[in-house]
Amino acid sequence: MANKKQDYEGDKALAEVLFDSIGDGAVTTDEFGNVTRINPTAQSILGYSEKEALGKWFPKLCTAFDESGETIPLIDRPVTRAFVTGNIISEKIHYKTKAGNLIPVSMTISPIMVNGQPVGCIEIFRDISREYEIDKMKSDFISLASHQLRTPLSAIKTYSHMLADGFMGPLSPRQNKSLKTIIAATNRMNETIGTLLNITRIESGSIIVTKKPVAINQIIEEVISEHQLSVTEKKQSIKLNKSKDDLKIISDSVVLKEIIGNLVSNAVKYTPSNGKITIDVSTRDKTLVVAVRDTGMGIPEAYKDNIFTKFFRGENVIRQETSGTGLGLYLVKGLVNELGGNVWFESTEGKGSTFYLSLPLLPQAIRTNKSVS
Amino acid sequence: MASILVVEDDKDLNAAYKVILESEKHKVKTAFNGQEALGLLKKYTPDLILLDLLMPIMGGIELLEQYDLTNHPQVKVLIFTNMENSPEVTKAYNLGATRCIIKSWTAPQNLSKVVNDTLKSKNSQLKLTS
Repeated sequence: MANKKQDYEGDKALAEVLFDSIGDGAVTTDEFGNVTRINPTAQSILGYSEKEALGKWFPKLCTAFDESGETIPLIDRPVTRAFVTGNIISEKIHYKTKAGNLIPVSMTISPIMVNGQPVGCIEIFRDISREYEIDKMKSDFISLASHQLRTPLSAIKTYSHMLADGFMGPLSPRQNKSLKTIIAATNRMNETIGTLLNITRIESGSIIVTKKPVAINQIIEEVISEHQLSVTEKKQSIKLNKSKDDLKIISDSVVLKEIIGNLVSNAVKYTPSNGKITIDVSTRDKTLVVAVRDTGMGIPEAYKDNIFTKFFRGENVIRQETSGTGLGLYLVKGLVNELGGNVWFESTEGKGSTFYLSLPLLPQAIRTNKSVS
Repeated sequence: MASILVVEDDKDLNAAYKVILESEKHKVKTAFNGQEALGLLKKYTPDLILLDLLMPIMGGIELLEQYDLTNHPQVKVLIFTNMENSPEVTKAYNLGATRCIIKSWTAPQNLSKVVNDTLKSKNSQLKLTS
């Protein structure tokens, strides 16, 4: 009996030493949310001594805030959700320290289960102020690079088009041909800058998705209009089969246009002269589906698993000397994830490909009559 | 024909937009930063402001904050920027901008079309989000 007690005391002491040695902040609470243990790192991050924290109701001791600085209501606090659901919850939130500062933390909270019942929670958190600063610096750099790279391009593009449109008088056929080359190269550079910036944003987690009502047919018509010149030059046909009514979804129009633009651009690029491109818009269950079909070179079986991989380009594509960075579909995949959708494809080499984009339609979908734009 | 105020710090682009929009018979005034634009906006009310965001002295966001579109609901604001998906664009929408276009993607004929479409649009962003 004495040995068992000694073992228990030994285990308990070891557990306490281990708990206090955790390099991240660690707090345990009982089933009422009162602090039962707080390790030195947590004391250092939050500014409360062990004496000040023990026995206190943790949600009151330490107010939590979301990304926008709004107080997280008790019912939405990770600690409440972990306790109620019995699930482990990992999130980034802000805690208010004793000194009144807001500190961003990355935290994981787990319910402590005894005989299948939660009897408390253990929370491990890490001060991520430095990561926040770096993210902000990355974000500032992206904005700056975006502006500085594109400003000269804007002038090149505007003035090239003004020349082509006759604002500065008529051009000879040779001048016109040269100008077209300048415009095409400018467009390619613009696309590449846009792609690189978007990939940087996705990979750094700094992409901003602004959801508003978006008329899907209109977005696709704009994309088609932007590709019409290339389609005409390659003597291809492009057709849009619209959704039955003027369907609007809640999404980010810029991101959506980028996704569909990439799929259409690929279809145009990898479909030979006289080929057909068809875009179908439909709804299935609670999902909007956009299908971009082409009669192009198709994707060989061996490459199908790699098609959304960064920098991947199929041998059959490279042989055709078609320009491309191998970033387009990688970007599409990333952007579709940001919108909460899916992208996939069906393809037969030599016959063509169909790329499908699906986005959640309900509950936010808005249907309007055709007369209302 | 509409009255348009072009606010763009890049002299070449500012001049180009004026030429393009005047070719569409619009009446165009120009400013090279937000402060200059505010000066003009004290004297007249345009139908549309073509607004760059990043400018010296006073940027587009500060201009929108000071001009306060809730007091000028008839004025459409078309943001013309190279910083898509940035917090500044979200701020501009929240301040009542009607539409946002990426400058380096927009050819002159598209500029005219976007301006004309924006002028015709009935709902400003303020109304959409309210």
